[in-house]
Amino acid sequence: MTALDGTIGTSPNRVGGIDRVTGAQRYLADMSVTDALHAKLVTVPVARARVARIDGSAALALPGVRLVLTADDLPQPVPRFGPQNLDRPVLATGETKYHGDPVALVVADTREQAEAGVAAVHVDYKALPAVCTVAAALATGAPLVQDRSLRAKDPRRNTNVLNEHVVAWGDVEAAAAEPGLTIVERRYTFPMVTHFAIEPHAFMAAPDGDGVSVWSTIQHPNWLQKTIAGLTRLPLSKVRVYAPDPGGGFGGKQHAKYEPAVVFAALRLGRPVRLVLTLEETFQAVRRAACEARVRTGFTADGRIAFHDIEADYLIGAYTDIADRVVGKGSYPAAGPYNVPAVRIVARAILSHTVPSTAFRGFGNPQINWAVESTIDEGARVLGIDPVDVRLRNLARKGDRFIPFDTPCDGEWDQAVRKAAELIGWDTPCPPGRGRGIALGIKSGPTTGLSYSIVRLLADGSVVVYAGTSDMGQGARTVFAQIASHELGAPLDWITVVMGDTAIVPYDQQTSASRSTVLMGNAILAACRDIQAKLRSIAATQLGAADTDVTVAEGVVRLADGREFPIREVLAAGLGRLGGEITGLGEMRKEAEAGHPLSGAPAFFEFNCTAIEAEVDADTGDVTIDRHVTVSDVGKALNPLQVRMQDEGAAIMGLGHTLMEHYILDDEGRIRNLGAIDYRIPTSMDLPRELRSEAVENADGPGPYGSKGMSEGALLCVAPAVAAAVRDATGVAIRDLPLTPERVWRALQVGAAPGDAEGRR
Amino acid sequence: MPQTTLPIELTVNGTLRGIDVAPHHTLLEVLRDDLQLTGSKECCLVGECGACTILVNGRSVDSCLVLAVEADGADVLTVEGLASPDGRLAPIQAAFLDQGGVQCGFCTPGQLMSAHALLAGHPHPTRAEIEEGMAGNLCRCACYEQIFAAIDQAASGAAPAVTGASVRAEAGDAWAGAKTSAEGLDQ
Amino acid sequence: MRPFTYARPDTLADAVALLAERGAEARVLAGGTDLIIRLRDGSVRPEVVVDVKRVPELAPGIRARDGGMLVIGATTTMTEIAAHPLIRRDVAGLAEAAAVVGSVQIRNRATLAGNLCNASPAADTAPSLLVHGAVVVAHGLAGERRIGLDDFFVRSGLTTLAPGELVVAIEIPASGHGRIASAHQRRTRRRGHDLASVTLACGLDATGLTRIAYGSVGPRPILRLDTTGVLAAAASTDEARTPIFEAIFADATPSVRSMRAGAEYRLAMLRVLGRRALATAQARLAAGE
Repeated sequence: MTALDGTIGTSPNRVGGIDRVTGAQRYLADMSVTDALHAKLVTVPVARARVARIDGSAALALPGVRLVLTADDLPQPVPRFGPQNLDRPVLATGETKYHGDPVALVVADTREQAEAGVAAVHVDYKALPAVCTVAAALATGAPLVQDRSLRAKDPRRNTNVLNEHVVAWGDVEAAAAEPGLTIVERRYTFPMVTHFAIEPHAFMAAPDGDGVSVWSTIQHPNWLQKTIAGLTRLPLSKVRVYAPDPGGGFGGKQHAKYEPAVVFAALRLGRPVRLVLTLEETFQAVRRAACEARVRTGFTADGRIAFHDIEADYLIGAYTDIADRVVGKGSYPAAGPYNVPAVRIVARAILSHTVPSTAFRGFGNPQINWAVESTIDEGARVLGIDPVDVRLRNLARKGDRFIPFDTPCDGEWDQAVRKAAELIGWDTPCPPGRGRGIALGIKSGPTTGLSYSIVRLLADGSVVVYAGTSDMGQGARTVFAQIASHELGAPLDWITVVMGDTAIVPYDQQTSASRSTVLMGNAILAACRDIQAKLRSIAATQLGAADTDVTVAEGVVRLADGREFPIREVLAAGLGRLGGEITGLGEMRKEAEAGHPLSGAPAFFEFNCTAIEAEVDADTGDVTIDRHVTVSDVGKALNPLQVRMQDEGAAIMGLGHTLMEHYILDDEGRIRNLGAIDYRIPTSMDLPRELRSEAVENADGPGPYGSKGMSEGALLCVAPAVAAAVRDATGVAIRDLPLTPERVWRALQVGAAPGDAEGRR
Repeated sequence: MPQTTLPIELTVNGTLRGIDVAPHHTLLEVLRDDLQLTGSKECCLVGECGACTILVNGRSVDSCLVLAVEADGADVLTVEGLASPDGRLAPIQAAFLDQGGVQCGFCTPGQLMSAHALLAGHPHPTRAEIEEGMAGNLCRCACYEQIFAAIDQAASGAAPAVTGASVRAEAGDAWAGAKTSAEGLDQ
Repeated sequence: MRPFTYARPDTLADAVALLAERGAEARVLAGGTDLIIRLRDGSVRPEVVVDVKRVPELAPGIRARDGGMLVIGATTTMTEIAAHPLIRRDVAGLAEAAAVVGSVQIRNRATLAGNLCNASPAADTAPSLLVHGAVVVAHGLAGERRIGLDDFFVRSGLTTLAPGELVVAIEIPASGHGRIASAHQRRTRRRGHDLASVTLACGLDATGLTRIAYGSVGPRPILRLDTTGVLAAAASTDEARTPIFEAIFADATPSVRSMRAGAEYRLAMLRVLGRRALATAQARLAAGE
């Protein structure tokens, strides 16, 4: 009777999968509401401009054009929003800050009419000098990206440094002065890259009685609700956010972008307004922060890391979005999963006249891990110690407080390292012409969190789960159904998971930081156990037993005398002739911790070890990934196939920024490779010849059944592992990404710098 | 003055349709906006991503790069036409579900159409043929290995994997049968 | 996309008359894989789009004429060219080039004449056609004329087609010196479909004449011949070949502004690809492929 007890740890077909293979799945752009109008953005073709006047009269004279909404039409001063700082105006006012910063919204009966309207809007502007690199932003006399008035109390307001995050323990200078150390100091760069979710961002808004409804491809519907409520001065209850499953998010869809402008347009017109971005506009809406890092690391003769001295300048965009948090949280564990006695990390968020950078899988860690792991690799080579050995000698073991005052090492990380080394055949000879590289990475999981769930056990034993998570491909819906199935005994296809409607689904803080299996999973688990507790009383009454003689678990009611009943049998009898249901409430709260630099220690760490075997075509610079091994500590794989898919997806996305992806800006700060023709991402022909994803499972995570979040780890190590393999194969070290054929070829022309080839295996 | 609309006739998923289309509207726009067949997706609009892939006269094309008027007289197959009219999934659809060839799902319709076309031309494709045949369909979730496995499954004509829909259906049947006893308890 | 009038002439005469009448207001639509992108981004704004796919004389197809000439209909797609047994056997470089133009979906639509008429310096089919001495058959109000492909390209987007002239076919003549063994090579930023940063073909015949054509390194594809026999000779050393390659590639003028590859890299890759294509062509000639 408990045929589906085994659901946890198996890989049933994706819940919602059938609609996805039949074309029935409705993404936002597939939806419309009656009378919806179509909006298009008006931008100016430079990175920074003074906008003197916007003349929409010619546009308004065109057929179908209903509105040219500019900042002048908004409440004054123009409302600003942002998840960290209220610095992004609903529409640019006075000055545009990046190529793509919208100055107006044209709304028309059809998309085509809106496009024609955009072409007819006359924007009187004057291009202004823009800063688009770290050096330009920090130069003396550089124009300020943000007006001082926005940062009145900020001592850095006269600079383009938005914030500086310092993490330090031990005495780095004293450690560096110790005799006998091998000190490696290098600089690394990581370019601007973009999410390139295949679904471009889309938004819709409609007046709804005395409130407003908003549809968005958003990952965080509740955060968007709060943002819109704040801007419109409506109570939360009057802002309803519909968040249909996003077609890929990767962090880019976490926070509001153009929803506020669409809302103001809809309220002004009293009609629904939709705005579906093009891929090019999406590139101009979201990206990852670029980074320039300097790493100075001291090694003892036996390969112990004596100190890390790390400086990283992250080039963020014109508005903060969540970028300052990316810098702070991404750099916090920069010293890696190692026990290092002295560490100093200084990470700065540098404003620039570029697309606002935002959350992106890995959240600031990949940029700095590229630099730090490459430095460790170099240290190993200089010392003549095997790169795996160096890492194992320094690696934190479970319980080690490798970052003081933070969550201790929470996994058997050495198992992942040994497994990756074994799978790549680290101790076997490398085939001729190839090289191998290995890298480790950690990322802090969520540091705060609040997830509620309601679970309803209906009279027939079927189940409705309410979860405010966004299922953007990671498969949250499937895992949530598995948890409910496991706890309440209903088969998966008797379970409905309701998401994406703030008027129906209880609050969830966000879908990010690989949190949902752990935080929302625990909330659902708690709600299921709430139901089990209620069932226990019902069963005791029904069966004439004492409460203490009844247990309810895994879909079964058990009595002390050994009798067992499926939940649904007890339920039907217990609910009586009126039927009804049993409702369970679950809450998972991870409170902020006062005084912690990240507002809290992480609920878990994502840990990954990636090993690469690669070859380089010396004539052309082509890098071929022959073998790619990724091993993540996942605690417990609730759905092993989905775990593997997330792990492989992160690995391949990592190959993108390692080998081919980057924004190329022109001298005026415009993105030259704007669009899919010249922004290259991996295709089915760009995969490793062999890709192997394995999980370490010790059921030692804080999520249901010992699970941990795991969707980002495999991205953290790709670049340093590939570069190490390239170096192993060629003797040449490359410290700028991506490793395009041309860049590798150039490096090969220059040849191995003195010392670069030392320590080759 | 440009023409406003032109009448065309085309067969879409087996049904002959006569519609008036604007000459400058692409087949993708007409499928999505005029015929409400929104399974084909819009992403790059430059023939790079493949999210809008459909079959025209049996050949896969990016429907964002075909004018609707060009399809006058054509036989068009979209993702909505893959399953049989009674709703039974085509083998390639079932294989995508079984093997995990779907994550966010936005690229999936295009992937399915390319896979369908690939299998029509290569009933037993090699790995190299699969990589080549699917290269015009980007998957940013990057479940490429699972998509390849799905194509292998469909090519082999293998039954769905053990953890697939069949198991779920059986469990569901058993569950439905058991309901009687629950009602019995009530009485 | 800006509205336009769509015309679908059924005869060559109608098509030519319409193109001649509308001049710069008209654009020819064949496979559309380039035109529709440009219609959408507004870089071309025709009043009328002339779909030539139903003109019988332009019909897809690859036919062998007496004497070994191959005639490729203007609207023959890359897919058909890449798969055709005669092309694969006798014009291997073209089959290889057609097989790497875009994705399957693009190759199912993109036509050979379209690839040539766009006159993109990076057109992958151009180098192989150049080394095989291909001839463009054009039809205009004044009737038919044949243009050697080397006399066809002017610069990016511009050919020597007269206003109103339409390409109806591409002829690949039989070489007077027996068959030409050819090979195509290109450089891209990834293995998946991409625009070529260098595209090159080499053709050899039994007399030792070597033809090398290359594109994406200047305003138009370039054809150069080695009549010394040094490149073709199996016994030649690298040292002997180097000055000849240098002369062949002397006219490459890659843009320094390109974001797809730097000029220095493109020039270096010309030399790498030239050697690789030569080696493949030599092997094919020797094998009698």
